[in-house]
Amino acid sequence: MISQPRRLLTTPFWTGITNGPRTYSAYCQNLEERIPWRTLTGRQHFYLDHEAYVAFGENLPTFKPRPEAAKVTRDLEKSRVPGGALVLNYLTPHGKWGIHSTYGDTLRMKTLSRGIEPVWINDRDAGLLGVEDNDWVEVYNDHGVVCTRACVSARIPRGLCFIYHAPERTLSVPKSPERGGKRAGGHNSLTRVRLKPLFMIGGYAQFTYAFNYWGPPGVNRDTFVVVKKLARPEF
Amino acid sequence: MDVRAQVAMVFHLDKCIGCHTCSVACKNVWTDRPGAEYMWWNNVETKPGTGYPTRWEDQERYKGGWKVGKGGELGLRSQNKVDAFLKLFYNPNQPGLADYYEPWTYRYGDLFDAAGGDDQPTAVPISQITGEEMKIESGPNWDDDLSGSPLYAENDINLESLTDEERAGLFEIERISMMYLPRICNHCANPSCVASCPSGALYKRGEDGIVLIDQDKCRGWRACVSACPYKKIYYNWKTGKSEKCILCFPRLETGQAPACFHSCVGRIRYLGVLLYDADRVAEAGKVPNDALVESYRSCLLDPNDPDVRAAARMSGVSEEFIVAARSSPVWKYVMEWKLALPLHPEFRTFPMLFYVPPLMPIMGKIEGGIYEHDAKGLFGDFESARIPIQYLANLFAAGNRGIIEGVLKKLIAVRHFKRVQGHDDVADEYVKRLLREAQLTPEQAEGIYELTTIATVQDRFVMPPIQREEAMPAGCSAEECKGSCGLGRTESPERGG
Ligand code: SF4
Repeated sequence: MISQPRRLLTTPFWTGITNGPRTYSAYCQNLEERIPWRTLTGRQHFYLDHEAYVAFGENLPTFKPRPEAAKVTRDLEKSRVPGGALVLNYLTPHGKWGIHSTYGDTLRMKTLSRGIEPVWINDRDAGLLGVEDNDWVEVYNDHGVVCTRACVSARIPRGLCFIYHAPERTLSVPKSPERGGKRAGGHNSLTRVRLKPLFMIGGYAQFTYAFNYWGPPGVNRDTFVVVKKLARPEF
Repeated sequence: MDVRAQVAMVFHLDKCIGCHTCSVACKNVWTDRPGAEYMWWNNVETKPGTGYPTRWEDQERYKGGWKVGKGGELGLRSQNKVDAFLKLFYNPNQPGLADYYEPWTYRYGDLFDAAGGDDQPTAVPISQITGEEMKIESGPNWDDDLSGSPLYAENDINLESLTDEERAGLFEIERISMMYLPRICNHCANPSCVASCPSGALYKRGEDGIVLIDQDKCRGWRACVSACPYKKIYYNWKTGKSEKCILCFPRLETGQAPACFHSCVGRIRYLGVLLYDADRVAEAGKVPNDALVESYRSCLLDPNDPDVRAAARMSGVSEEFIVAARSSPVWKYVMEWKLALPLHPEFRTFPMLFYVPPLMPIMGKIEGGIYEHDAKGLFGDFESARIPIQYLANLFAAGNRGIIEGVLKKLIAVRHFKRVQGHDDVADEYVKRLLREAQLTPEQAEGIYELTTIATVQDRFVMPPIQREEAMPAGCSAEECKGSCGLGRTESPERGG
């Protein structure tokens, strides 16, 4: 056991050598040791000259709207939408205080937030649900369920909700009435992996992808959920 | 002239990212112990919001600070001659635990010891005070990042003189905004807590102006808790004594900045000496709200003036403090550039912590579905800033909009001044006009840029050596003086008798 967090997994390629006072920094080798970039030309590439990228319209950075209907993403084929519930787009952005579960689950940081990883929703959407700030809600789709409290703010656009990425599933997690009284899950219970055709092309130079490392942006965190009020949480 | 030296502070709100590293540093060093669980000597609030303890700015409710009486004299809002005695026994203006929050932890043991079953176990929240299971309903940072909230932002007292149109902006997604307000004890020049204490336990240190509670003298009456308009004195339910931010004086005395300053990620915090005329402080607090900022400024003395330095020596200010005052970053922000302002000067305690108000993001506009820069120049103009000027005026200028406009003009001028050095999208003439209108010279603009953006630790914290052993009364052993420092007691507390 060690009493303080330590730096680990320092690699010249991924983090830069961070053993000394230096902080994490990407691509140090390419810049400092002048190692060619891992592309066909050895230079940085902005334009992706590949016919599949051209066909998908992603040969240059581009804006793609979110899928507009639950039908496109098919997250709600087996989940019921009772009266008083809302179907919302669901996202899992990185939080203000943590990368993944690191530090965010400490008592100090839980005290400085809401004591739980809440779901953020718009004030008017909350009004439709009959939910006030800090009320319990059940959030579910075909992939899983989360029971947590609501954080209500006009800062969140209407029609969507989010839970910060990523709490452990240990603190104050109720059981889900919607799923037969089983313990509810965490933020990732509601997402799924979606393979995108662009992930499957290439395999050389700048078109070499690794899971969660680099590659064309995926859509696995862009899903739809049902949100409804949870009157009495059971632990 | 009675010249006093004060270790004073500036927080530059344009730079605060709301990370709460300051709060955690303070908590870990000073208040991580029984009786102090709920105390956050340093806290950070999202504004608009109601803060911690909730609605602390509402002096109708808490009766903190000074008010100008009918005869024009300053009196404590929390007590008069008649009720000071009665309030010793029952004080309706005290914040209760619900106004702060009930500190909690989790029954972590259940994660290991729960009986076998179909489900993974979970650790439910329990009260740190009673040990019972509890519902978490508030915290020290409860409305963090909410802004447009019907429960919190909407009840921010600083919104009261805003137009309906300005208030509506709080709930519009394209206009909504927020800012962070980190708060510690202001170590005021005219502290109402000190004046309220029936036991004489509170005092302002002579050599550096730090406000402390003598833990041996404190009898736990809590008059200070309601008298402090910033709610920066906390009652320790375990020791039966009150406690407050001590500006990390043990660190200052060893040449280190206070923990919250030292750890600040945004480097928003500056520490330096101000000289002021103690003879004029009380008078300065009697002017109408509109004139308060100017009135307090007029009490601060220019350390570059040889007459002031001579008077300071006469008043017993040490040479080290006089030297430090001459390179004080606080003097620059507060007086030379007039960028930093006191928080709620209308509480009339003359706070010695000053804030540079944020130059809020300028509203863009949406045209044809595309979000674009405002047409009014590169950084827009401050009238279209997302946080209404009046709101900032209510926070930092007792409602005086002119003071805030003066500051924002300077902040915008400095940005253009630097822009033109590296880019050619701003006309020289335009920059000159902005500087003129903001009443800044190019040298001042460069100085503001440097101290704001690239200043080192040595530039931000200019501290004189503090020789506490010389300031202690002769013949008082370190052990005897221990209680008076605001840290520990030398006598064990007696409760209920
Ligand atoms: S550490 Fe600094 S930047 Fe972070 S919240 Fe505190 S004052 Fe703001």
